[in-house]
Amino acid sequence: MTSSVGVAPDQRARTPAARRGGWRSRLDAATTPARLRLLLAVLVVLSVAWGLIAALAASQHGSAAADVVAVSEPLSLDAEQVYHSLSDADAAGANAFLAGGLEPVAARQRYDADITQAAVRIEAATALVGSSAARTELPGHLTNQAPAAGSAVGDDLAILSAELPVYVGEVGTARADNRLGLPLGAAYLREASSLLRGMLLPAASDIYARENGRLTSASAQATGFPLIAFALVIGLLIGYVLYRSSRWLARHTHRMVNYGLLVAALAGAVSLVWLAGAFAVGRTDLLHAQQHGSAPAEAFARADVAALRAHADESLTLIDNSGDDAYQQDFLAQQKLLGPGPGTLLAAVQASAGDGGSVAADVRAWYRAHAALRAMDDGGNHAAALQSALAGDAARTFGRLSATLSKGIDDHQAVFAASARGGEDAFTGLAAGMIAAALVMAAGCAWGLSRRLAEYR
Amino acid sequence: MSRRLGTARRTWLRGLLPVLAVPALVLGGVAAAAVPGRPNAVREGSAAGAARPVSAAACHPKASSLSPSGPPVVTSGSFMARIRDRGFLIAGVDQNTYHFGFLNPVNGRLEGFDIDLIRAVASALFGDPDKVEYKAISDAQRIPAIVSGAVDIVAHTMTITCARLQQVDFSSVYFDAAQRVLVLKNSAARSLAGLRGQEVCATAGSDSLARIAAAGAVPVAVPYWTDCLVLLQQGNVAGISTDDSILAGLAQQDPWTKLIGPPLTDEPYGLGLSRQHPDFVRFVNAVLQQLRADGQWSASYARWVGTPAPAPPPAQYGG
Repeated sequence: MTSSVGVAPDQRARTPAARRGGWRSRLDAATTPARLRLLLAVLVVLSVAWGLIAALAASQHGSAAADVVAVSEPLSLDAEQVYHSLSDADAAGANAFLAGGLEPVAARQRYDADITQAAVRIEAATALVGSSAARTELPGHLTNQAPAAGSAVGDDLAILSAELPVYVGEVGTARADNRLGLPLGAAYLREASSLLRGMLLPAASDIYARENGRLTSASAQATGFPLIAFALVIGLLIGYVLYRSSRWLARHTHRMVNYGLLVAALAGAVSLVWLAGAFAVGRTDLLHAQQHGSAPAEAFARADVAALRAHADESLTLIDNSGDDAYQQDFLAQQKLLGPGPGTLLAAVQASAGDGGSVAADVRAWYRAHAALRAMDDGGNHAAALQSALAGDAARTFGRLSATLSKGIDDHQAVFAASARGGEDAFTGLAAGMIAAALVMAAGCAWGLSRRLAEYR
Repeated sequence: MSRRLGTARRTWLRGLLPVLAVPALVLGGVAAAAVPGRPNAVREGSAAGAARPVSAAACHPKASSLSPSGPPVVTSGSFMARIRDRGFLIAGVDQNTYHFGFLNPVNGRLEGFDIDLIRAVASALFGDPDKVEYKAISDAQRIPAIVSGAVDIVAHTMTITCARLQQVDFSSVYFDAAQRVLVLKNSAARSLAGLRGQEVCATAGSDSLARIAAAGAVPVAVPYWTDCLVLLQQGNVAGISTDDSILAGLAQQDPWTKLIGPPLTDEPYGLGLSRQHPDFVRFVNAVLQQLRADGQWSASYARWVGTPAPAPPPAQYGG
C-alpha cells in the first residue's frame, strides 16, 4: 500500500531516454532523484517480503507447536485413557464373574467409573478431531499429513462410539443373567470381552499410535531449522541493504542520519531479534517437553498397556480353566515384552524417565505372585489361585504396579503440559508482530526517502 | 454408521465358522479314517502297553464298553492307584451347559448331572467327592484332552459314536438323549427341515453340526452352547439344534424359546475315557452300576433333568 502511494506520482517524471534503455543503462544514466525512487521501491518491496517470510515462519512454527499442545498430545492421552479404562472394565467384569455370588460393590463401582471415563474421553477426542479438522483448513497451517491421519482417527473414534454401548449392553445382560443364576451370563460376558478385545481396544491403540506419530512429526516441525534459518538470513540481508542505503544517502544528501531509514532499521532489528528469540525459547521448551514429558509418558503408557493385557490374561486363564493355555501363553508373551531386561518396555521407561527402579521392583513382585498363583492353580488348588487373583497377593502386587505406572504417566504428562504450553506461548502474537514490523519498516523507508526526493522538486 | 458397524461385527463373528467347522466335521463325521495323519497317531499310541486295541468288528455304540468285575476297588499298580497317589481326579467338564455341567454364578461352583457322576467317581477313589480338579473344556477339546492324557475322565454330554470309539473309550450309557431344535416362540418353523437355508447354531466339535448341514440349514459353529443362545437372542441365527437334554437347559434360561420337531437321532451319553486304561473303564462302569442300583442316578435325574425320573438306561457291555 505504502509503496504505490509513494511511487505513483513519480512515474510521470521519468525521462523518455531512461524509459527506452535497459535497466542497467537506465541506472547509469539516472539522476539522483531517479536512483532515490528506485531505492525507495526496492526497500519497500524488501520490507514487505520480510514481513511475509517472517510471518509465514512464525505461523508455521506456531501452528506446529499448537498442534503438539492442543491436538496430538491430548488425543494420544485420551486414547491411552480409553484403552486403560476399557481394559480395567474388562478385568473388573471378569473378576466379578470369578468371585461368584453377589458382585462386590467395589468392583461394580470400578466398572462404572471406567465406563464413564472411557465415554468422556471418547467424546473429548471426537471434539478434538473435529476442531483439528477445522483448523487444518486455515491458511498457513501444516496440511500435508493432518487430513489423512484425522480421518483414520475419525474412523477409530466412530468404532469406539458405536461399539461402547453394545459392549455395555452385553455386560448388563451378563450381569442380569448372573443374578438369576444362569450360565448364559458367562456367555454374554465372553461375547462382551471378545468385542472389547477384538474391536474397541485395537481402535484405541490405533489412535494412540497415530497421534503419537503425529506428535513426534509436529514437534519436529515446530523445532526444525530450515524455514526459520531462511527467514533469519533474509532478515540479515535486508538489514545489510538498509545499512548500505543509509551510507549512500549520507554521501549524496550530506545529512548524517535519515530518520525514516533509522526507524525501518530499528523495526527490522526488533522483529529479527523477536523471531530468533521466540524460536529459541519455543524450541527449548518443546524439546524439554518431549524429552522430559511426552517421551517418558509414552514409555510408561506402553508398559501400562502390556501390563493391563497380561493382567486380563491372568483372570481369563482362571475363568477359562480349560487346560488350553492360550491366555497364559499370551501372558508370557506380554511379560517378555514388558521386561525388565534389555530391549524391553521397562528398559525404555528406565532410559527415558531415569528412575525405573521402583517399576522394576513392582513388576517383579507381581511376576512372583503370578507364578505362585499358577502353581496353585496347576496343582489343583483353584480356590486359592482365585483368592490370590481377587484379593490376595496377585491382586495386591498388580494394584501397586498399576498405580506406579499411572503415576508415571500423569507426572510426565504434567511436565509435558507445562513445558509445551510455554513453548506454544513463545509463538503467541509472533506472526502479527512480524507483519506490523514490516509495515513500519516499509513506511519508514517510504517516509525517509520521499523527504529526500521532495528536496529535488 | 452404527448399522454398518453392526453388520461388520456379525460378519466377524461368523468368520469363526469355517475355522471351527472343519474340526467339527472331522470329529463328528462319518469315519475318522478319512483324516490323514490322525488315525496313524492313534494306532501308534494304542499299540503301547495294555491299551485296548481298536476293534475292527461291527460297532455297537450302546454295547461297546467293558464290564465291571464286581464293586469298584482300587487295586495296587492300577491306573486308579496312580490317580490316588496324585491326590485328585482330573475331570474335563462343561461349565456352560445348564443342568449337566455349569458354573453356578451364585456360589461359583460347578454343578449338574454330569458333575454328580464325577463326584461319585471321586468318592469311589478317595472317599471324598471334592477331590477333583475340574478342567472346563469346550466340545472340540474333549477328544484331544482324553487322548493326550490331560484329563482322566470327561463328563460332557458326550455321545458314544463309532467314529469316536476309534480314538477314545466310553463308559456304559448313562443318559439317552435325542437331537431336536430350539427356536424363538414366534418362529413358524416346526422342525429342522423348516429351517432350510437359514442359519442354525451348534458347537464346534459336536456331532450336531453335520446333521444341521445335512438337513439343508447353514451351520454356525461357536465354542459353547450358551454362545448359541446369545446368537439366537441377538437374532443372528434362526435356531439351535442339538440334544434335547442340552436344549431343555437353554430353554429354561429363556422362556421365549420352544423345542420343536420329532427326535431326529438317538444320542447315548457315555463318560469319555482313555483307551490306555481299560482297568479304569471297568472301575467307572462299576461306579455307574452302583448309582443305578442305589437310586443315586434317579435322585440326580430328578434334581437336574426333571420328575418323574425314568428307569436308568440298562448297562450293556461289549467286552
